[in-house]
Amino acid sequence: MPKVTYIEFNGDEYVLNIDPGLSVMEGAVNNNVGGIIAECRGACSCATCHVYVDPSWVSRIGEKNDTEASMLECVCDPQPNSRLACQIKVTEQLEGLVVRLPQKQT
Amino acid sequence: MTTENAVYWDPYRPEFWMNPYPVFKRLRQEAPLYRNEQYDFYALSRFSDVERGLTDKDSFSSSRGDILEYIKAQMPRPKGLFIWEDPPLHTVHRGVLSRVFTPRRMNELEGKIRAYCARCLDPLVGAGGFDFVKDLGAEMPMRVIGMLLGIPEEDQVGIREKVDAALRTEAGKPLQASQVRNSGEEFAEYIDWRAKHPSSDLMSDLLQVEFQDETGTRRKLTREEILIFVNLLAGAGNETTTRLIGWTGKVLSEHPGQRAELVENPTLIPNAIEELLRFEPPGPSVARYVMKDVEIHGQTVPAGTAMLLLVAAANRDESRYPDGDRFDIHRKGPPHITFGRGIHACLGAALARIEGRVALDEVLKRFPNWTADLDNAKLSSTSTVRGWDTLPAFTGGGGRNAVRREAAPAATTESAIAQPTAGTEGWELTLSAPMGPQVMTAHIVRNGESFSGTMSSAEMTAQEISGTVSGNTLSWTLPLTKPVAIKLGFEAAIEGDKIAGEVKLGMFGKGALTGKRI
Ligand code: HEM
Ligand code: FES
Repeated sequence: MPKVTYIEFNGDEYVLNIDPGLSVMEGAVNNNVGGIIAECRGACSCATCHVYVDPSWVSRIGEKNDTEASMLECVCDPQPNSRLACQIKVTEQLEGLVVRLPQKQT
Repeated sequence: MTTENAVYWDPYRPEFWMNPYPVFKRLRQEAPLYRNEQYDFYALSRFSDVERGLTDKDSFSSSRGDILEYIKAQMPRPKGLFIWEDPPLHTVHRGVLSRVFTPRRMNELEGKIRAYCARCLDPLVGAGGFDFVKDLGAEMPMRVIGMLLGIPEEDQVGIREKVDAALRTEAGKPLQASQVRNSGEEFAEYIDWRAKHPSSDLMSDLLQVEFQDETGTRRKLTREEILIFVNLLAGAGNETTTRLIGWTGKVLSEHPGQRAELVENPTLIPNAIEELLRFEPPGPSVARYVMKDVEIHGQTVPAGTAMLLLVAAANRDESRYPDGDRFDIHRKGPPHITFGRGIHACLGAALARIEGRVALDEVLKRFPNWTADLDNAKLSSTSTVRGWDTLPAFTGGGGRNAVRREAAPAATTESAIAQPTAGTEGWELTLSAPMGPQVMTAHIVRNGESFSGTMSSAEMTAQEISGTVSGNTLSWTLPLTKPVAIKLGFEAAIEGDKIAGEVKLGMFGKGALTGKRI
């Protein structure tokens, strides 16, 4: 199972084994990572699963589609490495992925 | 369990809704799967159960409606009203609306919403009181949906009244199936007019957008489908937000200390709105139709029954919200479930949040103190929303803006509470910028060689700032997103009650900064 590291805004780190096929959002919600709300549970319509993907991973997780890009316009403090965690599928290739959580989701 | 001791809950008793929380607590503790024989429904009240009910869409269907009476009456439902659809139809219909109902569109409305609040509230300054619902909450959300759709203002009152009437229940009676009309004919005239006069509003986009329907055909929306979407937005986004504003007035009246903190530090407003949404959710429950037998707390809930998911009970579940009956604008920790969860999670949540925050900010600027006149307030509860129909409040003098406008004499005992606490300094700053002079307000607290605080202006909600103090010189930065993304760098020296210096405006060069103590 690929390991994904979630780093909360306050620095708390969670290293979690996530089943391939789940999204990075589901991995967080199933394990009660506090910094992700995920109101719409993956429908890409709430933008409350915002994460910053570690720069070294940005090119490896695939492109965002138009819907995700449009939703990212409303997150707090958007950065070039902002993504919606529900749109990133965990695969074996993502072993070691690191994402950081923003200060707030809404 | 004996009959006397068993929790009984009648959702159709108006008195119950005055304070439903003690009963909800008992339901969570004693009857986490509650069965009401009289009205023939089940109810879930613990957070984890409500969350499961909302996310397990295969067991709990929306296809017969999300209101108890609709489900029971087996009301016909127009296609496209996706709040009452399951996938795959829901996916298609929500998908097409969310393509035009974008976050950008909602964010763009912030300035207009602020201006509208100002228009409602300014005339009430000095009047001694106002009604949170009648003077602000009842009108504002409808205007906002109107702005979004581009409906010419003078027509909006009539449209809203028709839509609201279609969803309101009479006290003590279940919603009548015959009350429901979702055809959206109220908007038809407007749609036809807009088709001939395209603009940049959401309605124009709806008329243009192409999508793939459930048969795989690529096409535009029909007039009928647009009517349904518009009615859905108006039905879902109007009364709910009105109730949020009413609860804001009620709850903060009862927590003056926390309200004073918000006056002092408006950056706390977003969290306060989240806590209000948790504490008094405008929509206390949603219902689902049970599709297959489900095992819950050792019992089988049979297919074909109705399940009520008690959002308002879940939001106070002690296992998730320690001391959940306490209102605390500083509360950290897990989010509420007021906007639902899963595929039906509120599409307008971002807009509702903007509306709630802006309304509260604009109220606090003018009225730092108020006392809700509960003797003359009226609470109502329908099958969809719970909140105040009227909420008059007595207001004192003062307010963040008023302090600035009136400068000295008006310090009554009441406004004294709202005075910034000891150690806070307020500054009114004028910066000469390429787009003309800009007036901003800063409130800061010093701490040795550093300080922190907030800055705000007529165009900008309060932003947090922090900086350094060196002798009598303050330095700090402020990232702006509007009208352009730019970081402002301030450096200014204090001389008594005056401040002067300069501001770096990124690629626009520098500007002069002057100001005075407030
Ligand atoms: C404080 C205000 C609001 C509250 C508490 C609220 C609450 C909710 C809830 C709980 C649901 C889910 C219903 C269910 O699962 O059956 C929902 C759905 C929805 N809301 Fe809101 N809402 C608010 C404001 C708004 C606004 C301002 C709009 C739009 C202008 C809006 C549009 C919608 C729509 C379109 C849906 C249906 C989503 C779907 O079924 O996929 N709401 N809302
Ligand atoms: S969970 Fe809602 S957008 Fe990702």
